[in-house]
Amino acid sequence: MRRFITGMTVLALVGAGAGCGSSEDTGAAPAGGVDQVKVGVIPIVDVAPIYLGQKQGFFGNRKIELTMESGQGGAAIVPGVVSGQFQFGFSNITSLLLAQTKNVPVKMVSNGVASTGEAGKDFGGVVVRKDSPITKAADLAGKKIAVNTLKNIGDTTVRESVRKAGGDPSTISFVEMPFPNMPAAVEAGQVDAAWVVEPSLSAVTAAGGRVVAWNYVDAAPNLTVAAYFASTKLIADKPDLVKRFTEAMNESLAYASAHPEEVREILGSYTKIDPKVRASLTLPKWPVEINKPSVETLSKLGAQDGIFGGATPDLDKILP
Amino acid sequence: MTGVLRRLLLIVGLPAALIVTWYAASANSENFYAPPLRQILAAFADTWTPERLRADVLPSLARLGAGYLLAGLIGIAAGVAIGASPRLRAAAEPVLEFFRAVPPPVLVPVIMLFAGIGNGMKVIVIVSGCVWPVLLNTVEGVRSTDSVLSDTTRAYGITGVARLRHLLLPAASPRIVAGLRQALSIAIILMVISEMFAASNGLGFTIVQFQRSFAIPEMWSGIILLGLLGFGLSELFRLAEHFALAWYHGLRDAQRRS
Amino acid sequence: MTAAGAGVARVRPAGRALLGLSGLAGLLVLVELLPRAGIVSDRSLPPTSRILAALADEAATAAFWVAVGDTLTAWAIGLAVAVAAGVAVGVLIGAVPVLRAVTASTVEFLRPIPSVALIPLAVLLYGSDLGSTLLLVVYAAFWQVLVQVLYGVADVDPVAEETARSFRFTAAARIRYVLWPTALPYVFTGVRLAASVALVLAVTAELVIGAPGLGAVIAVAQTSGAIPTMYALIVVTGLIGVAINLAARRAERHFLAWHQSVRGEVAA
Repeated sequence: MRRFITGMTVLALVGAGAGCGSSEDTGAAPAGGVDQVKVGVIPIVDVAPIYLGQKQGFFGNRKIELTMESGQGGAAIVPGVVSGQFQFGFSNITSLLLAQTKNVPVKMVSNGVASTGEAGKDFGGVVVRKDSPITKAADLAGKKIAVNTLKNIGDTTVRESVRKAGGDPSTISFVEMPFPNMPAAVEAGQVDAAWVVEPSLSAVTAAGGRVVAWNYVDAAPNLTVAAYFASTKLIADKPDLVKRFTEAMNESLAYASAHPEEVREILGSYTKIDPKVRASLTLPKWPVEINKPSVETLSKLGAQDGIFGGATPDLDKILP
Repeated sequence: MTGVLRRLLLIVGLPAALIVTWYAASANSENFYAPPLRQILAAFADTWTPERLRADVLPSLARLGAGYLLAGLIGIAAGVAIGASPRLRAAAEPVLEFFRAVPPPVLVPVIMLFAGIGNGMKVIVIVSGCVWPVLLNTVEGVRSTDSVLSDTTRAYGITGVARLRHLLLPAASPRIVAGLRQALSIAIILMVISEMFAASNGLGFTIVQFQRSFAIPEMWSGIILLGLLGFGLSELFRLAEHFALAWYHGLRDAQRRS
Repeated sequence: MTAAGAGVARVRPAGRALLGLSGLAGLLVLVELLPRAGIVSDRSLPPTSRILAALADEAATAAFWVAVGDTLTAWAIGLAVAVAAGVAVGVLIGAVPVLRAVTASTVEFLRPIPSVALIPLAVLLYGSDLGSTLLLVVYAAFWQVLVQVLYGVADVDPVAEETARSFRFTAAARIRYVLWPTALPYVFTGVRLAASVALVLAVTAELVIGAPGLGAVIAVAQTSGAIPTMYALIVVTGLIGVAINLAARRAERHFLAWHQSVRGEVAA
């Protein structure tokens, strides 16, 4: 009972205060002029540049002290950024477009990660069992495919792969399950195919699985997959901090692109990927610029697949 | 008549006061994740249409019912066996405690390995979580059987099924009911968790989808529906308990009157 | 059943521990054999030996022990708050019939709301700090205690209650000498249930939100596809659960030595 009242009071305060409490966290001029910055990330290969940049001092140089907050999936990242608990967050483009259609007050501030753009050498793809009758993307029509999140970047790009190959994407049934479960589910025949990314992709191919579609490559040339973002409030209140973060991030992305061996090494510090897999897995690309045409494509694909519930994302409001 | 009215007032009074408070406090909320109650209520009406209820809530309820019943049966059966045998209890307890401490979200992928991704998996997830309160309470109930009664039945040579039927189960039943009651709300929680994996319909699935697609008023309306569902089920439970434990409450009343 | 019936067969403490260990050993053997016999793929469920090897690797790192400490801290604080609030509110509501009637519907409404559904709210309020974990832990564990306390209070022997009244015991004395002894066994079951629910929720919150602790490490292992490490961490969670239960049992035996459920087993 008392919990409920406290809960309700808290809720009321959150409502009435609408962000008052959060401004303290992003508060101006902390000791020594260094900004304490929390970034919500997912502990996957994609975010290696920010860890590498932190190690190289690209953020420290700009008086930013980074703390990475990493949880399973992104459930907590957007709410954390909106409420000011995190200053920046990492999210895939489709989720950010979706957020825009619902007027979530966030905006991209720098590129995150991109597809390599090369079929056969990308960091994500649709895999099937060794003895599966499926040999090409068009065969996926009418099949059951596992994706990590329904109505998101995975299923919308897989549909595009099938569409481009001449199959009917509307006949695919997608099933949601975590990436690490997919190899077992494919092997046991619980699903016909699965969309996996590294390091699960390496695990499947090592066990004899075949890749039948490179959905990121098929969706758009050099597809931008994810980006770092901030709340519009932070962007308005502390433009200088955002500018310094973007600069540091860009330097980190460029450094990561130029030093793949250091990327593989830093993976050991924040993931538990097997050292052998770490040395051989396919790394994504980390261009500094967000590939705007590819974001437009994702927006079009999402609208076509009904992900945005009939709305169309306003790209000017979400792109930096 | 006044009795009914009084009861109605008792049931509705506090929630009404709280809702009014929430409504007033949130009316001007600009926080994206805590929208005004007005919006949530509007979303509730738009979201939970009869078709939606049939398509998402019914399958959830079916899985919930199956899981709950199974958990009740397993919990009581295993609880009586374990409670009546200190040796079995000593051997089984660490293993049971071990599994009980594993969080369902990490247990689900393991269950998926063995049970696939269909409805069976979701029912097993529900059982795996809500069997514990029933089991533990049954064990405790059987353990605390009055020793005089226990010795008396033994002296009269009452054993086996008769002993179970006339001594152990009645003695343990208040505890079993307490366990079943707790299991009910845990079952609802597990229903939601199980639908976070490999689901394509269900109340939990829908709420998670709303949360992910930033449909926050709809998400809150789903949470409210979950609460209403829990309340409805617990009222049903109260009715069932009233009949099942009539002798127990009767005994208490008789003691009170004498 | 008769031979081993309650109150007859007594198992010595050493024997108990041995039986418990044999139960766990059986589980270990089963997990070793399942993948080796090819019933499940060893990439999905590695055999015990590989899980234990991964566990040894983890235990050698300082980060692992920090994570265990974080999880236990969240668990202990959350449980303490939930138990204190649950017992206080439960005794109050249980002892005053009007309060019970007024709050019943609200309690039943709030109880089944899954803590996981509160994750956005928790993150909104506390980000990924300890506060988020605590909110979820306390919310989940509180109801466990409250419901047991309510049942315990309802179980008070009316004759004892009437006797106390006719001897003109004060309300405080009635709570202390009549209500509390009756409710105590229920409270202990409630605390035991809450203790494991609190652990489950602490790990779940860390897993999903990324608050520091074992759950966050499990999330990293999961997304990295480090399956043996993931199982090793799950084993650690399970072992903590066993340890918590052992401690709770010991406390229960100590405080409830006079009660039927314990009396049958202590003197042996």
